[in-house]
Amino acid sequence: MRALRLLSLLLLLAAPAIGQTEQGKTQEAEARFQRALRANPALADVRQKLARLYLSQGKEDEAVVELRRAAETAPLARDLALKLAAVEQAAGHPALAERQLRSAIDRFHSVEALLQLARLQSSRKDAAGALESLGRARALAPNAEDVLSASAQVALAVRAPVPAILALEPLARMCPTVAQYPYLLGVALMQAGDTLAAAEPLQQAARLEPDRVLTLVALGLAFNGRKLYADAKPALLHALQLEPDNVEAVAALAEAEDGLGELADAEAHAQRALAAAGGHATANLVMGLVRMKQERYAEAREALERAVAGDPNSPKAHYQLSLAYARLGDEASARKHVELYQRRLAEIEERVAQLRTATGLSGGGGMRP
Amino acid sequence: MRRALIGLSLALLAATALAQSPAAARLLFRDIGLEAGITFQHHSAPEKKYIVESMSGGVALFDYDNDGRVDIYFVDSLTVDTAQDPKAARSALYRNLGGGKFEDVTDKAGVGHPGWGMGVCTADVDGDGWTDLYVTALGPNHLYRNNHDGTFTDITERAGVAGGGWSAGCGFADYDRDGDLDLFVSRYVKVDLENLPEFGKGKTCEHRGIKVQCGPRGLPGMGDLLFQNDGSSRFTEVGAAAGVSDPRAYFGLGIAWFDSNGDGWPDLYVANDSTPSFLYVNQKNGTFKEVAFPMGVAVSEDGAEQGGMGLAVGDYDGSGRFSLFKTNFAEEYNNLYHNEGDHFTDVSFRSQTAASSLPYVGWGASFLDYDNDGLLDILAVNGHVYPQMDQARLGASAGYRQRKLLYHNRGEGRFEEVAAQFGPVLTDERVSRGLAVGDLDNDGRLDVVINDLDGRPQVLHNELAEHGNWLVVKLRGKGRNTDAIGAVVKVKAGTLSLMRLVQSGTSYISQEDMRRHFGLGAQTQAESVEVLWPDGTTSRRENVKANQQIEIRQE
Repeated sequence: MRALRLLSLLLLLAAPAIGQTEQGKTQEAEARFQRALRANPALADVRQKLARLYLSQGKEDEAVVELRRAAETAPLARDLALKLAAVEQAAGHPALAERQLRSAIDRFHSVEALLQLARLQSSRKDAAGALESLGRARALAPNAEDVLSASAQVALAVRAPVPAILALEPLARMCPTVAQYPYLLGVALMQAGDTLAAAEPLQQAARLEPDRVLTLVALGLAFNGRKLYADAKPALLHALQLEPDNVEAVAALAEAEDGLGELADAEAHAQRALAAAGGHATANLVMGLVRMKQERYAEAREALERAVAGDPNSPKAHYQLSLAYARLGDEASARKHVELYQRRLAEIEERVAQLRTATGLSGGGGMRP
Repeated sequence: MRRALIGLSLALLAATALAQSPAAARLLFRDIGLEAGITFQHHSAPEKKYIVESMSGGVALFDYDNDGRVDIYFVDSLTVDTAQDPKAARSALYRNLGGGKFEDVTDKAGVGHPGWGMGVCTADVDGDGWTDLYVTALGPNHLYRNNHDGTFTDITERAGVAGGGWSAGCGFADYDRDGDLDLFVSRYVKVDLENLPEFGKGKTCEHRGIKVQCGPRGLPGMGDLLFQNDGSSRFTEVGAAAGVSDPRAYFGLGIAWFDSNGDGWPDLYVANDSTPSFLYVNQKNGTFKEVAFPMGVAVSEDGAEQGGMGLAVGDYDGSGRFSLFKTNFAEEYNNLYHNEGDHFTDVSFRSQTAASSLPYVGWGASFLDYDNDGLLDILAVNGHVYPQMDQARLGASAGYRQRKLLYHNRGEGRFEEVAAQFGPVLTDERVSRGLAVGDLDNDGRLDVVINDLDGRPQVLHNELAEHGNWLVVKLRGKGRNTDAIGAVVKVKAGTLSLMRLVQSGTSYISQEDMRRHFGLGAQTQAESVEVLWPDGTTSRRENVKANQQIEIRQE
């Protein structure tokens, strides 16, 4: 009972300070908060108010000190919990950050906290946790642009294209003038192995932002994936006008040129990409293809081995490597790489099938996956 | 020579005029079907709710009455709704009367109702000098023996070549070189008409967001059949023992017998739909070894499994080896596999045949020298399988009805797609399937007959005014293989070194004219005509004048 009276008294002491805070009399308010806290350091509510005051003054360090102390005794308000979580994450204390976020999620069903938690989990490579958090956020706010956008970005970061596509499809429809969304949708579809579907949103993104190198390179890659080499080439040349040293663009251009039968240009560009990044999978693949066509099979095998090392999941590299071994008379290695190629192909088809089941996107029917 | 030079000058002038005025179309083919009296119409269900309603039908060009004029046989198919009424479909045999006229002789010939027809191939199975007819079907296939009097007798049961299930491609060859013709039949999908997969139900029954027929993926496939001839026109199925039975049951369609490695023995290529294709190399002991992957002809250049449909075999660059052209599904590309001797190289993009094929679902295909300039060109006919395509998000694919592709051989391994130069007869959109090339009027210019899935067929008469000289060679083999199936004819004329193969079973489940046609360009004679007969013997003629048909008999 005595304690309660004391508490009431302290609150009475603090009350004018609060009013003064609202009136901008910050210095007096700060003094009153500090007096109250000296009298009873356990007054978490007062400490949070003091922290809020510091934040309004731009005194970040002081605010953090108060928030940390407040959090030791009682749960923080939603915005302060998010603030402290962000601070802890930036300071390299992910466990402390997660504690604040989970607290905000449990008490306030905070969508923002869920998104922040997903980003945190993503940065810790906890893909399953991140996806679970994103799912909860989307359940709470299914059509919010910020939720969808964050969902997509986190899903892409953890290489989970299906939830990314599920978020980006409506975003691209809802915001038809924002180039970022169809761009990310295209990237997600390519990440899922569905280059067939990726070209369309990437073309949309390129229409909205014709001079964005990332979009142009992705579009070139998607066209290459669909064997539309004549369409890929101008997009990649434009990307290289804007950013001449973009290795991805140079390598993709080499692939397009190989497809168009321009072997000398393909070889030159592949070599240029390899000079910048010796292990580049696409550049090595193109070198392998060029050497195969030149019937320099031993060199083709070496380049294709490097292509496989750079991208072990590429069916094309394994398939071409099998041909190189076959030309060199190594039947066992040729068979081995046919098997590897078939396994990779099956994996991609399975992934695309799962993608289409999960996203409701339709594929090519029974004639094609 | 003077005439040839004038012809060449005219061609150059025409080409120049064309370059100046791209809208002007030259006359190459004219569809003479109706005026020739051809009233056949292929039957198919309008909605194609089931895959069995999308894959027919073949067409054959062969001289069934030995009158020197090529006749036409069209294969018709039933539908799910008419499956119980075999008479609802009527395949048709048209006798070539000459003068651009044909007569429907189906009823007299007795070849009108092979059931749910799919494809066709021809051969003189019993070695009597008269060409017999084999029709593949959903259900038993049919071997019609030529009675020499305009009629045929169905000898399927006696011959033991009914097969069963869903057969598609067929072709005769003397694979064991015992002097008689054996038969290979590719099979497609296992279908139970009483229990068909429901239209649009399931992921393999959707295409670009619309409900479509199911298959072939998601449906069980069928193995293939090899019938060995015992010498008396009785056959035994030996596919498994020979190593060509396709135990994994891929979806077999077009087939081609040809000597892929120049060892004198017939090898076999099978175009599989949505699965890797097969190249069976003859081991010369009654068996084959499947080598499509190491030979580079199983899949696309990037390792993608393609929807293989039709095939053409030809030496388009004077290499002295037979290369392969394969039509595929839309958004894939048609393959041109160049024969390097001990392997093949996919030169589709380099040859500039690939990119223009991407929007189309390809079927019948042929190497043909349509302008007799001495270089083999390529014709491919197209048409989707889903009528619902027209309501779909199409992506890079064309709609249900599709134009043809005509690739003019520019030399040095490069082609140019020129269909638009020749007007709507090639660019009008149709739903084509079987294609057979031959010389219907013996004028030395190759004509084309196409069986469309929906509607009437096309009989494309070659009326190209500016063309080179030509030579047609008809072979007569000794023994039971009177058509000399498997023989290779080589012609040397000036700088031209040309080579043709006599094949049973060509294109997409069809049969081309077995006489071998050579465009000679400006050359007025062939210095030599050499025949490599299927048994390894050779014949040779020298200084053969151009612009005539010659017959060479094996001695």
